Amino acid sequence: MSERYDGQTYYELLEVSPVAGPTDIYNAYQRARATYSPNSPAIYSMFTPEEALQLMSLVEEAYQTLSHQARRKEYDVKIGLAKAPPPKPTAQEPARARSQDQWIGPVKTSAGKQESLPTGFSRTKFSVYEVKPDIETEIEQAQEIDGPFIQKIRLYKGVTLDQMSEEIRVIKSTLVALEANDLEALPVAVFTRGFVVQMARLLGLNERKISDAYMKYFRSKRS
Amino acid sequence: MKPNLINADFSPLRGRIEPGSTIIAVGGGKGGVGKSFISSSIAIFLSQLGYDVTAIDLDLGGANLHTSLGLPLSNKGINEFILDPQAELSSLIQTTHWPKLSLLSGSSEAMDVANIDEIQRSRIMSAIYRHKTDFTVLDLSAGTHHATLDFFLMAKHKVVVFTPEPSSIENAYRFLKASFFRKLRRYEHQLQLKTQIDELLSNRDTHGIKNPSDLIRVLVDREPVLGMKLKNIMADLGYKIVLNQARTRQEVDMGYALQSVCNKYFGFPCEFLGGLEYDNAVWQSLRQKHHLLMANRQSHLYAQLMGIARKIAKPQSQNKAA
Repeated sequence: MSERYDGQTYYELLEVSPVAGPTDIYNAYQRARATYSPNSPAIYSMFTPEEALQLMSLVEEAYQTLSHQARRKEYDVKIGLAKAPPPKPTAQEPARARSQDQWIGPVKTSAGKQESLPTGFSRTKFSVYEVKPDIETEIEQAQEIDGPFIQKIRLYKGVTLDQMSEEIRVIKSTLVALEANDLEALPVAVFTRGFVVQMARLLGLNERKISDAYMKYFRSKRS
Repeated sequence: MKPNLINADFSPLRGRIEPGSTIIAVGGGKGGVGKSFISSSIAIFLSQLGYDVTAIDLDLGGANLHTSLGLPLSNKGINEFILDPQAELSSLIQTTHWPKLSLLSGSSEAMDVANIDEIQRSRIMSAIYRHKTDFTVLDLSAGTHHATLDFFLMAKHKVVVFTPEPSSIENAYRFLKASFFRKLRRYEHQLQLKTQIDELLSNRDTHGIKNPSDLIRVLVDREPVLGMKLKNIMADLGYKIVLNQARTRQEVDMGYALQSVCNKYFGFPCEFLGGLEYDNAVWQSLRQKHHLLMANRQSHLYAQLMGIARKIAKPQSQNKAA
């Protein structure tokens, strides 16, 4: 199965750049599927249905490999695009193996470089902030929290509403309403809870705890 | 040889010379797919972008580029060039409504100019090649006549026009295949690969050759140096695809499918320049004998054509900068 069609790499087969991201690869795959389906007008008089079928299975194979982070890395090494990774320290191995073996998904909030920060500082996806112990304990001990409290955390961590709205795909006016305790403007409980979970995740909080505490407030005010 | 060719000047044919302009040829197997409309539009947009452009009608039997450009019949054109061996191309070029665009018309009352011999063909090609301007746009005839293929192959940008219907797709592919093999035949002698290629082509099945891409691959396996040389020469074809008369968004996307099929079939990268929407305004303006773009700058079509012209012009401006 590893024989390459016409000496082409999987990247050439899908017609993507070797540094293409997951979305590009997915789009290219969908396009190739449409192009080489048996009754596609574009292959007419160029490829027979059998050839198209063969191409299609190669396209599938290419996508199976390139859409999978670990397999893609392995493949890159095989075709000489990347160097084999240096042997990792054993202590970190289990954790790393797990993280590499995941399918590439859209949600990756804490991705990126992990340069060390000066002590007393921490980071979110969008910001670096100074850790203030009193606020941290306040968050830690909160049993019931409302909108303004979430806003306080957000401002403390230096994330703007625009960044948050963009990242978690909730329109800004909803976030404003949530932070202003304008409960009438919010959707039903299950959606609101979903928003809070995502906000908490973005702010690096315990999403379960925060959403439970917020929902306690939400339900008591809007029964 | 015809008597009036004895005094013709063939000296520029010898040796290697640099082209006087970036040549763009617009071809495609089938008639009525919009070759003249697209070549006139590319010419107009390039001139609007500030380049000097000459449009040349090489559809010798059925010239109509002047009509697409909204110009009347002229008694100066490519036919006068063919009939008079002393004629200079530049003296036969006429002006148009667009300041930087000139036209070498193909319109004529002469009846038999469509059937030119090889000597005339190379004289025309040599004159076009030397013609000095920024861009030369060639409007080709339908079909896969040798003259048409040779004109197509002399261009740097080889634009082929598709429409979404199967007969047009089939004809356009046939045109591309014909031009591929025309070029292959030209270089196989030079690289002394003719016997090899003939042998491969007559035993396709045993070698598993289903398309040009396979042919070149097997050839490279056998003759790495010459094969690679040929591969690079053929990759220079780099067909540019335009999809005309698309009626839906999906049909515009078909351009990418055509590009992908060409990539895989020929084994070198081709480019989808852009799709053009089907627009009634086009034939309405043709009926009134003026170009659509004179009037309508707010249409989708205007934006799509501008996109294509920019893609063609881009490498040119990069060259100039370098």
